[in-house]
Amino acid sequence: MAIVNLQNVTYKYPLTSSPALRDVSLQIDEGEFVALVGANGAGKSTLCYTLAGFVPHFFKGELTGTVEVAGIETHASMLNEWVMNVGLAFQNPFNQISGAKYTVFEEVAFGLENIGVPRDEMISRVEAAMKLTDISDLAERSPYSLSGGQQQRVALTSILVMQPKILVLDEPTSQMDPIGTREVFGVIRKMAEQGMTVILVEHKVEWIAQFADRVIALKDGQVLLEGIPGEVLTAPILEESGFGISRYTSVARKAQELSLWKKDKLPVTLDEAVEGFDSLLPQGEGTGMRAK
Amino acid sequence: MHERLSFYAKRDSVLHRLNPLTKLTLVFGFVLISFLTPFYWTPHLLILFGVMPLSFLGKVAREYFNASLRLILPAAGFLFIMQALFQPLEGQELFHIWFLHPTKESVMFAFRNAMRIFVMVSSFTLFLLTTHPSELMSDLSRRGLPGQFAYVIISTLQILPQMQAKAQTIIAAQRSRGLDTESSFLRRAGSLIPLVGPLVFGSLVEVEERAIAIEARGFTSTRLKTSLHDIPDTNSDRLIRWTLAVLVLVSLAVRLWLL
Repeated sequence: MAIVNLQNVTYKYPLTSSPALRDVSLQIDEGEFVALVGANGAGKSTLCYTLAGFVPHFFKGELTGTVEVAGIETHASMLNEWVMNVGLAFQNPFNQISGAKYTVFEEVAFGLENIGVPRDEMISRVEAAMKLTDISDLAERSPYSLSGGQQQRVALTSILVMQPKILVLDEPTSQMDPIGTREVFGVIRKMAEQGMTVILVEHKVEWIAQFADRVIALKDGQVLLEGIPGEVLTAPILEESGFGISRYTSVARKAQELSLWKKDKLPVTLDEAVEGFDSLLPQGEGTGMRAK
Repeated sequence: MHERLSFYAKRDSVLHRLNPLTKLTLVFGFVLISFLTPFYWTPHLLILFGVMPLSFLGKVAREYFNASLRLILPAAGFLFIMQALFQPLEGQELFHIWFLHPTKESVMFAFRNAMRIFVMVSSFTLFLLTTHPSELMSDLSRRGLPGQFAYVIISTLQILPQMQAKAQTIIAAQRSRGLDTESSFLRRAGSLIPLVGPLVFGSLVEVEERAIAIEARGFTSTRLKTSLHDIPDTNSDRLIRWTLAVLVLVSLAVRLWLL
């Protein structure tokens, strides 16, 4: 069942002449993990804000078409009703720290205080969420004393703890190292498996290929492509739109030109690339190597 | 980055465990009494037998005396000297140098005023030393202070040091690109102008993002807020508050009708 339903959505920020979203229609099912990709200025963040209700309620501007998220229609609702359904975390972790709290534990609890969760339940939910994202050891630190990657985890935890039906994440791992990114993607995947709907903006193509169920590519505020990661992320049109492709895809494409790549599908991840090139080698000489 | 605009000293003491409102009542009670009372020695006695013992009770005596010596004493002392010398009160002249001729009355008057200031500033210092800002704010918002108001106060305390750090970063970055920070004052002042832009506009963008972030965490939710901290409000708290209120009223009554 579609939990997100956008019909012909066009949106213009105030004081701008061209729309940030043009005639966008899309459906996202409950429990689906969808990645949004596209070059800078393609409308990814605007789409995130739309899904979280900030467009048009916070930014004002003109929105036409219908936006229905978790059964609530945008024009017939107030912004504070959306909070219970949609959790939004975005790129800059520093600005997501409330500034009203002195420890990470209090910071994560901030949202629960606002929506009136009783104290005992609040403490157990905060502890569980911090364990999930592996920040329990930061509980007593000041949120401002943390590194960018740690702050991003705190920001993500602060949203997860509110248990929204839909999680909208705008580059939540931009300041993390590869290990941190892997862990956070693991957490997001787990949330999706538990039935949370995840909409994620991400530039790290290989991660999308491994974790997302579906990819939506945007260009100039329009949906350019939509489909399973393996197809969308290797489509030449995506590269032409200014969005980078994985290096494994580019290597395989070169190999294809030299007729060295025999498979129909191009690889996105290291594993797929190894598998494809491995089959070229004569029997017995394959490395059998697999990326860990 | 650990620097905070807060005096709070974490201890485990009776004073720390008092409800924040009770401590606030104590502070305002002391201040009002020391200004309202008609008896000359009340402010002095309040310091000796009120504020100072309380600082020991709160286990913050060292911090308290430190602040008193460095901050309050110079200010109160200055006030004392100025008023003692220049307050034109008739009476017994103590000495006469040039145009200065302080009288016994003017010295007494100045001493009491200085002590009043001392009571005011030092009890506030004691309050700040023993009360965590976030506890104060959760307690006050539980008692009906609007959440937005509490947020503005407490986030300012936290964000100012962050902005300061950012200003330092911008200055360091500009200096590494040749910003003049060592020549004449006017030239340096002029070269600061380009630094203000990034700081101010950057902060405006931050305010928008922060507004989105706290909104996404239900800041304007219409539900009744709860608090992570369970701030006790005991019978003795209430007793202290009522006692203080009565004492303030008594001081006022004595001043108005008895003397």
